[in-house]
Amino acid sequence: MAETHAETALIFQPKPARPAPAAASGPVAWMRRNLFSDVPNALMTLLGGYILFVVVGAVLDWAVFGAVWSAESRRECLDAVGRAGACWPGVAEWLPNMIYGLYPKELVWRVNLGFLTLLLWIAPLFMPRVVSKVNIGVSAVLLFPFLASYWFHGGEMGLLWRVFVAAGIWGFVWVWATALSEQFAGRPIGQTLLAALGAEDAADADQRRILRIAAALLYVAALALTLAWRLEEVGTRLWGGLFLTLVISGIGITFSLPAGILLALGRRSDMPVISMLSTAFIELFRSVPLITILFMFNTMMPLFMPEGTDVNQLLRAIVAVCFFAAAYMAEVIRGGLQAIPRGQYEAASSLGLGYWRSTQLIVMPQALRIMIPAIVGNFIGLFKDTTLVSIIGLFDLMSMARAVGEDTKWLGLFIEPFFVVAMIYFVFCFAMSSYSIGLEKKLAQGRDRG
Amino acid sequence: MRQSLAILGAVGAVTLGVSLTPGAAMAQSTLESVKERGHLNCQVGLPTPGFYALDADGTWSGLDVDVCRAVSAAIWGDPDKVEYQSVTSAVRFTSLANGESDMLARTTTWTAVRDTQLGLDFTFVNFYDGQGFLVPVDSGITSALELDGATICVLTGTTTELNLADYFRANGMEMTPVTNENVNVLVETYLGGGCDAYTNDKSGLAARRSAFPDPTAHVILPQTVSKEPLGPVVRQGDDAWANIVRWVGYGMLEAEEFGVTQANVEEMAANPPGPGVARLLGVEGNIGEGMGLPADFMVSVLKAVGNYGEAYERHVGENTPIGIPRAGTLNALWTQGGIMYPPPFR
Amino acid sequence: MAFARQDDDARRGGFRPGALLSDEKTRSITFQALTLAAVVALFWWLVDNTLANMAARSMSAGFDFLPVTAGFGIGFTLIEFREGDSYWRVFQVGVLNTLLVAVVSILFATVLGLIVGLARLSGNWIVATLARAYVEFLRNTPLLLQIIAWFFGVFNLLPRPRDSVEFGAFALNNRGFYMPSPVPEPAFDAVLAVFVVALGGAIALQVWAKRRREATGRLFPAVRVGLALVVLPPLAAHLALGQPLGWNIPALKGFNYDGGVSVPPAFCALIVALSVYTSCFIAEIVRSGVQSVSRGQREAAGALNLPNDWTMRLIILPQALRVIIPPLISQYLNVTKNSSLAIAIGFPDLVSVWMNTSLNQSGRAIPIVAMTMAFYCTVSLFVSLVMNVYNRSVQLKER
Repeated sequence: MAETHAETALIFQPKPARPAPAAASGPVAWMRRNLFSDVPNALMTLLGGYILFVVVGAVLDWAVFGAVWSAESRRECLDAVGRAGACWPGVAEWLPNMIYGLYPKELVWRVNLGFLTLLLWIAPLFMPRVVSKVNIGVSAVLLFPFLASYWFHGGEMGLLWRVFVAAGIWGFVWVWATALSEQFAGRPIGQTLLAALGAEDAADADQRRILRIAAALLYVAALALTLAWRLEEVGTRLWGGLFLTLVISGIGITFSLPAGILLALGRRSDMPVISMLSTAFIELFRSVPLITILFMFNTMMPLFMPEGTDVNQLLRAIVAVCFFAAAYMAEVIRGGLQAIPRGQYEAASSLGLGYWRSTQLIVMPQALRIMIPAIVGNFIGLFKDTTLVSIIGLFDLMSMARAVGEDTKWLGLFIEPFFVVAMIYFVFCFAMSSYSIGLEKKLAQGRDRG
Repeated sequence: MRQSLAILGAVGAVTLGVSLTPGAAMAQSTLESVKERGHLNCQVGLPTPGFYALDADGTWSGLDVDVCRAVSAAIWGDPDKVEYQSVTSAVRFTSLANGESDMLARTTTWTAVRDTQLGLDFTFVNFYDGQGFLVPVDSGITSALELDGATICVLTGTTTELNLADYFRANGMEMTPVTNENVNVLVETYLGGGCDAYTNDKSGLAARRSAFPDPTAHVILPQTVSKEPLGPVVRQGDDAWANIVRWVGYGMLEAEEFGVTQANVEEMAANPPGPGVARLLGVEGNIGEGMGLPADFMVSVLKAVGNYGEAYERHVGENTPIGIPRAGTLNALWTQGGIMYPPPFR
Repeated sequence: MAFARQDDDARRGGFRPGALLSDEKTRSITFQALTLAAVVALFWWLVDNTLANMAARSMSAGFDFLPVTAGFGIGFTLIEFREGDSYWRVFQVGVLNTLLVAVVSILFATVLGLIVGLARLSGNWIVATLARAYVEFLRNTPLLLQIIAWFFGVFNLLPRPRDSVEFGAFALNNRGFYMPSPVPEPAFDAVLAVFVVALGGAIALQVWAKRRREATGRLFPAVRVGLALVVLPPLAAHLALGQPLGWNIPALKGFNYDGGVSVPPAFCALIVALSVYTSCFIAEIVRSGVQSVSRGQREAAGALNLPNDWTMRLIILPQALRVIIPPLISQYLNVTKNSSLAIAIGFPDLVSVWMNTSLNQSGRAIPIVAMTMAFYCTVSLFVSLVMNVYNRSVQLKER
């Protein structure tokens, strides 16, 4: 034994390697770490997996494997699978209506073009070298609606409406001129224009005059364009489906932000009358369900107006949604304002900034930044809440889904369209909430570094 | 830039509001304002097969829709100058009363309270309905009187709901209502066994049953528990307008009585077979004048929608999915055992 | 705002008409007076228009219809309601049903939200993912659709009454959930009295224990003793008096179960949908609340060698709650408002039975809508009041 030991001591004899540790990476290790780290966790995993399997399985069975994909009427679906599987052909046939409502099929391109214009309008916001993003965003909120209103509604333009539609065209041209100039030439559109005219060295006053004339000329051109522009009228009664949902929530969202800011400032104002009125407005609209507000505006607004005024039904719903959204937004923004330390106000004051300047330059930018996730959350809520306009009889996505089941051919088909509507809402809301989470993370990074 | 944009926006919002709200003076008569507007605002309900059905192409059709079309044809000679306002039953009367709709053609039951207290005026009856019960065959129920203690699905906000309560009270029975304002929800509940019986106007029961997975497994009980005279409604206070709607409706019935149809109306107008037809079609006398309509308004109406019998067969008759037989029911002409009895056109 | 106010001219000189606009203080008064006048004028104009319109259309606005017989049945009521009862009674039924739905949903939503919120923070990947999927999916689809889905996807698919699922005295079928109802005998009052006294004692004990802890630092297990005090004496009294509480057990009779108390499937669907939907928001609130407490707090507690449960109870929770409570209350208010969606599946809540059915049957739009809004306003203002008081008490005191 000793000899052997002595013998072997002379030769380097490595110990056998220990078995490799259980993989530290790869799917098995990941599963061990995240799913089966101890007994309760393993049980939870199994339970969770089972729930997932049952729920997803049942939905897939109904919606995919057991579904009917081609049929002429619901009768055929029923004869084929009864009520055990979904009947998709009815939804497919009604899908255009669920998206555009009763908007004349041959004019649907106008709706598409309207939304395309919006996308083009905000596209410069994603160009890296464009700096006038705030102005572009503001113009999309303030000018785009006029252009879109004519795309969607058409008909005879009154003088005032024409003026604003022209402003919309003007804005669109301005946005893209600015975007292109800043992206490629790296300077504002004004300078590019002056350079093109060879007036770079002119006096400041002259330069300003030239720019003003250019803007005016562009506006006149836009106005001339509107004179030549005549679209067939499509009454708002024919608007519907996803299109209407987007119009209502879009207007609600854009209106709610400025109105909410004003209301929040009003509520915190130290003028008692203003503060009281703002508080009353906010509390009134926040304390009752949207459905009662819609109902009140729908049935009672015509009574509030002078005899003979005929207020469009869509407009009534939009006004109700706007008021409601503004009240909610006001509270979100007030939360943001409260989070601003008093030192900020005092610092602004000591710099000699007045109320409006300090609000605009110091307080509001900070308040809005903190509240971005909440503001987006509010938008999502509003978007979902527009389903309620179906209850007062507007043909939004929800009502259109309901109309499928009242079509003589597809009588009784109503789970399937609702399923599709739920999916559509989910896609939109999930996109918004993912965006907000991304934004929240980005902002948090900035904060934590400091 | 931003400030001027803000001002622009504010003014713009107001303008948009104003431009979307064409004013209409209530002081003028309904006919005048309808003519001035260029289309008829006809209120129907949420899409319902047979009476105001909406198809995937976005066109409205049905027995009540034909009343709207007939009135439009009587005014302009064109049945398509109608804007259909499809609203929930909760707001139907306010919508009419506040001037948004010119008339309402949506299976509305004529009752004393509605006629006298809500500022409404019923014109004529275009369909006599009655409430019944639908039960599964395997429940073994054969009479509504066996429904004591049952759970019953009923459409809310309608006279149906009141009749149901009345019927059970009158017969000393108990029931639990399951209410909804969406027929499909009720039908789905009923099919899932969420209620023992589904009650509605009998016209609706048959139509719904046809869309069941197995229609033969359900039976409509023999009892009719209510009177449901359904007809178009106008706002109270404009008798001339009420007359137009009323006499367009009666004209369609009168035409059926005289055998004037969509196909032969031109020929009949050219050579009226008798004085009755001649007066109806405006060849003799001028009944239209008293209503502010052209003398031959009934020719336009009949060309557009046909007589009452044709409209009935086209939308709810036996050859449609709704399949409500007419012969021998209240909806037949008085000459054929029904109670459709138009006052004479003279 | 005070900081924005400049030194004002008015103090130096007398009154000048121009000061109405140029001087800060008078301008504020002018501005307020003008606003007030505009608002009053607007209201006057609206009321005037409404009265004129109603007169022209022979509509009536009065509340004289309240004692009139409503004439329809209601499927679920907390108080006795017969078909011949008045509209006023319908209103009461609606209010109680709405409150019931709100309270029950709030309870379930809080419990569920807490569980899901903690699950989202779990180290188990599948649990955290499931919790995330649950939150994302449910809060991104409209509640209206979810209510319908629960109703048809679950409660309407339950077996019919004859094939009910029975467990003991309970039964579940697609007409609802049936439970035995207590039938107290006269002697039960004594048990109740004992319970009330015990409850009072327990509360007094809590107060005393807290005072003593603050004064001397000594602990007393007040919660456990208090709980025992509340449970044991009434139980003893109950047994001693010979169990003076009977049970009315539901039994199948005719079409359906009879006796006991029952809740209809629409109610169950509404409660489940509301609690599940709201629990997503509560889960997020709980998660962000717990995450908002900075790690340093936990470490500091560790440095003081505080036991884990003390850290949670005395350090983390009080700070997290300050963040959690205000949004939580507003979620509770949302539940109350969202219960108005009951109309989609026909549960007779206030909006469904009052603003829909009664309005339809009576045609009195203005008083009915006004009463509905007044109810929601009252609830909301009451809760806001409570919340504001609480908020003030936990706010960081800024010096």
